[in-house]
Amino acid sequence: MARMRFLCDTERCIDCSGCVVACKEGNHVPVGINRRRVITMKQGEPGEKSLSIACMHCSDAPCIAVCPVDAIYQRDDGIVLVDKKTCIGCGYCFMACPFGAPQFPKGNVFGARGAMDKCTFCAGGPEENFGKEETQLYGQNRIAEGKVPLCASMCATKALLAGDGSVVADVYRDRVFKRGSGVNAWGWSKAYDKS
Amino acid sequence: MRRLIASGVLIMIVYAVVLVISTAIAAPTSMDGLTRLFSPEYYAELYGGITGDWQKYGGPFTYLTSDIFWKIYLGIICVVPAVFFLHYIAVGPKVFSHEGPQIRFFSRFTIVIHWLGAIAFVTCAVSGLLMIFGSFVGGGGFIRFARYAHIVAALVFVIPGIIMFLTWVKDMFPTLYDIKWIFILGGYLSKQKKPIPAGKYNAGQKAWFWLSTLGGLTMAATGYIIWEMGMALDTVRISAIIHNILGIGLMAFLLTHMYMSLFAIKGAIQSMITGYKSKDEVDHLHSRYKYE
Repeated sequence: MARMRFLCDTERCIDCSGCVVACKEGNHVPVGINRRRVITMKQGEPGEKSLSIACMHCSDAPCIAVCPVDAIYQRDDGIVLVDKKTCIGCGYCFMACPFGAPQFPKGNVFGARGAMDKCTFCAGGPEENFGKEETQLYGQNRIAEGKVPLCASMCATKALLAGDGSVVADVYRDRVFKRGSGVNAWGWSKAYDKS
Repeated sequence: MRRLIASGVLIMIVYAVVLVISTAIAAPTSMDGLTRLFSPEYYAELYGGITGDWQKYGGPFTYLTSDIFWKIYLGIICVVPAVFFLHYIAVGPKVFSHEGPQIRFFSRFTIVIHWLGAIAFVTCAVSGLLMIFGSFVGGGGFIRFARYAHIVAALVFVIPGIIMFLTWVKDMFPTLYDIKWIFILGGYLSKQKKPIPAGKYNAGQKAWFWLSTLGGLTMAATGYIIWEMGMALDTVRISAIIHNILGIGLMAFLLTHMYMSLFAIKGAIQSMITGYKSKDEVDHLHSRYKYE
């Protein structure tokens, strides 16, 4: 079975934040919650790079391991999802996550966190596919429709790749081979041959 | 002429020095700089900066919370009561006469504060356990309610916690006979009725005092950091680890405290209700206490 993965090509990402907007708008994510964000490193310096980050849908995900109520689970295709009706908002998944993916809305009781919200790989949630409840709680279910997630599908430079891990890896390998990298970059052998 | 040669040599020296320095500065050419920007090390540095050093605290936090803490808690709530049950059968409770002269131990105010703190503390303990073993109930509304109760109870505990600390701290510093008390485990392993070396409070009560007040307030502080989650992520992770470890100790001592007052010494809980202990009990269990 296919194993879903994200890959952000930092040589292509231009920090347009289109993925963030697409995700928020398409999934009706509440204010203050960012399932996806773009980080720019070395801004304004030589070697500036941008990178779009969301839940990575890890194998052996630490969030699943620490969840005290087993609200987080992994599908056969590798997508990690949360059951918002089971989640108690304790925040352990956020402490365990290396990518800062889990997000928490401000709850109504004593300012305690509400149920965790994170990237669903546009695969909805545990409720019935395309049901009203699923849409309300988790947003679109594009995977069930046979489409790639919103963020990757609208990425203008196709920096963000999403889908079957082996296909994504092939696309990226092909790119790296064609454009070259480091001393293999285009024109380098002609221009800087001596060094 | 000599002046001309001298100044010529000087100019040449200055020129040579400038040449050497400028070459040294220009040595890492722009070419090398560009190569560096495409090197694996550069990417490692860039990407390392995003997720931070997860191995340092994120890894231990994940391991401890998923595999260790809940097992220790399970052990505590199973083994400690079982040990006490065996003790009750094998050694049995201490029985003292509650007739005769009475000695005032606690003021009315102290008793009210104690029970206020006690209710909040037990609520924290029970709701905390419910959260740790939330998966057995399936999570959802009930466990979410336990989490809210945990927060409210913690807030309620803080004030009585501070007052209890201030009320009792002067009687709670360790003394020499406390060591003796620890060696005979307070005399709870023998059926004999003989004077136990202890002042107004014995070594066990002193340990419970320090753990429950200072430990309890540390629980409140770390709990606040976990609740707010606004500090550096590693601080939150460390707080959660401390919160769990301290919780284990508090759980064990809370069960002990409850067993002692409810079962191990018959009617001991009466002193926290009326404020008086019988002379018989004080002379045996607090033999060094000089009451008027």
